[in-house]
Amino acid sequence: METADRHLLSTSVDPRLQRVQRHATEFHLLEQPEEWQTFEVFHQRRRGEHHVHVGSVHAPDAEMALVFAKEQFARRQQCASLWVVASAHIHSLGYQNEDMFATTTEKTYREASGYRLRHKIQAYKQSVQHESNS
Amino acid sequence: MNPIVELITKLGDDAFILGHRHSEWTGLGPILEEDIAMSSMAQDKIGHALALYTILHEQFGGPDPDTIGFLRNEKEFRCCHLVEYPNGEYDFTLVRHFLFDHAELLRYQLLRQSTFAPLARFAAKVMGELKYHVLHADSLMQRLALGNEESHARLQASLTEAFPLAAGIFEKSPYEDQLIAEGVFAGEALLQQQWLKEIEQRVQAWDLHLPEAREPLAGLGGRYGYHTPYLQPLLDELTSVFRSEENASW
Amino acid sequence: MYGGGYVFCEPDVHGQPDDPERLAEFEARIDRGEKIEPQDWMPYEYRRQLIRLIEQHAHSEIMGALPEGAWITRAPGFKRKLALIAKVQDEVGHAQLLYSAAETLGKSRADMVNDLLSGKSKYSNVFNYPAKTWADVTVIGFLIDAAAIVNQVANSKGSYGPYCRALERICYEESFHLKQGYDAFVALATGTKRQREMLQDAINRWYRPIIHFFGPPDNESVHSKQLMRWKVKMASNDEMRNQFLDAYVPKVLELGLTFPDPELRKDPQTGRWHYGDPDWAEFYRVINGDGPCNAERLSARRLAEENGRWIRQAIMNPQQKFTIPFA
Repeated sequence: METADRHLLSTSVDPRLQRVQRHATEFHLLEQPEEWQTFEVFHQRRRGEHHVHVGSVHAPDAEMALVFAKEQFARRQQCASLWVVASAHIHSLGYQNEDMFATTTEKTYREASGYRLRHKIQAYKQSVQHESNS
Repeated sequence: MNPIVELITKLGDDAFILGHRHSEWTGLGPILEEDIAMSSMAQDKIGHALALYTILHEQFGGPDPDTIGFLRNEKEFRCCHLVEYPNGEYDFTLVRHFLFDHAELLRYQLLRQSTFAPLARFAAKVMGELKYHVLHADSLMQRLALGNEESHARLQASLTEAFPLAAGIFEKSPYEDQLIAEGVFAGEALLQQQWLKEIEQRVQAWDLHLPEAREPLAGLGGRYGYHTPYLQPLLDELTSVFRSEENASW
Repeated sequence: MYGGGYVFCEPDVHGQPDDPERLAEFEARIDRGEKIEPQDWMPYEYRRQLIRLIEQHAHSEIMGALPEGAWITRAPGFKRKLALIAKVQDEVGHAQLLYSAAETLGKSRADMVNDLLSGKSKYSNVFNYPAKTWADVTVIGFLIDAAAIVNQVANSKGSYGPYCRALERICYEESFHLKQGYDAFVALATGTKRQREMLQDAINRWYRPIIHFFGPPDNESVHSKQLMRWKVKMASNDEMRNQFLDAYVPKVLELGLTFPDPELRKDPQTGRWHYGDPDWAEFYRVINGDGPCNAERLSARRLAEENGRWIRQAIMNPQQKFTIPFA
């Protein structure tokens, strides 16, 4: 740490910084930014629910990613289970293919709402009643 | 002093002082993810102290937790020397956390069987947090010990410094025999034995070694109110606002 | 805590014309109220301004941990101590979330941190002032966090998916920050004479930085209409400032405290707050590095980075390459 830095910290209102007495290593910016991998984090609130993507962490490996994810993504909300997966291992059918997800032709035959029976049954019941009355 | 009060006081003081030390990293920690994890453990520890001081208050008619935490003088604290030491660099913080939390996890496992019900209940409650503290310590210790030359050397140096102090965790209280006889706590000797096994096994696997000879009295005295020169300044800082105005509520 | 109250703009020197067809598609998506996701095509200037905005927001969180962090070891009593650690921890957590959101746009955290430490990248001015007493911590926790919420709630309705998702969680946590700050603030306001005095002193110190928080008045602000159109910036500086003053000035006055500004009043006709000249020249001085704590804050962050470097390097797996987070 540079002398100027140390002087600044010794006059801080933060007693933690005033105490800093470090070996005189020179601070340098990173020329080749070093960065751990990123892992995507999936959080399950309660057993029985889906794991939901909640963000990502930097970690050297999957186990550390779980150690970190636990505090970043499960410290405040209820959690039953966490998953992590390296960001590079996610495959997606993404937005450039969004039109594939659009349903253009008539596909009500595969929806529950595409089957309306009540009026048929009503009509049948009415016709039966009508016959027995006459 | 009531033996149980003495026991709970030392447990609370260890947690309080170590939690305070951990919190000195909050916002200044190495790597955001680790900063967050350390701040959680700081809260856990201080929370344990609060719960233990609350037992003293509710079960033994002691003063309220804030008074216990912020208005006692140094001599009345029963924490061990290990937790009083300044954080130093992250390696010392980490090695201390590793040594302390392995003891803490085993201690509370034993305390789950305590005949003093409030303590047994508390012990059952903190198991989950302590399991995480140990997982966190082990995960980072292992990786750094087996990391590169610098990280290995740093951990070894901190282990050489901290290990003798860790003996103070297990310093026997004046009421040790009574606590064991009454089934309140299985005793420091047993705990230390179990702990040493866990530590030795890991240290070996990680290519570190425990220092050989040590001063016979290193790390001792805290349980009797004899502290390192680091505790008084810590308490001065900790209580400076609280004590700055009498009968004030903050 | 914070929120990118003030988006610092540099003239765009690298911009290239965007493909008009894709631009029209992109703008139509935003007009329909749809979110933009990392894998989408986006205009160069949209990406650039978003990185700047989210990065500044992240820097503000991590810098914002410092003034209050100074009082963690002195917080009076268990409740305050635990709440303050949790609060500052959340701020570090917010920085983590926001750096990740910015990373999805293609700039790594290490690059952002480098730009912060070299002074290239800005962060909120308000954190370049010292928290001199415990009362300052309560003023920050109450009023600065309240200001941040106004800003962040606005931003959370913006157009970029990962930023909105991060802000959703951040806003949730901010409501705790505001509450604990207000609680500690009221404890002093309703406390002893000395406690009230230290609180009033702190308000006097923080009033001007708070007015500055939302950035210069709209007529001086350089924000383009384009940023509003693209839902990068969601509300004007004056609108947000006014909304904040509306909600929080009365809460301070009802406790018998005052603001050091004889001109502060609400115009009943227009509903707008009028305030005395807050010296915008000071605002520009501080943002350009010449505030009371700029140098100290950077030193503290350098220290933290140094603390982390040997750890990061020791556990670096040379086989694995950094990839930007997915979402």
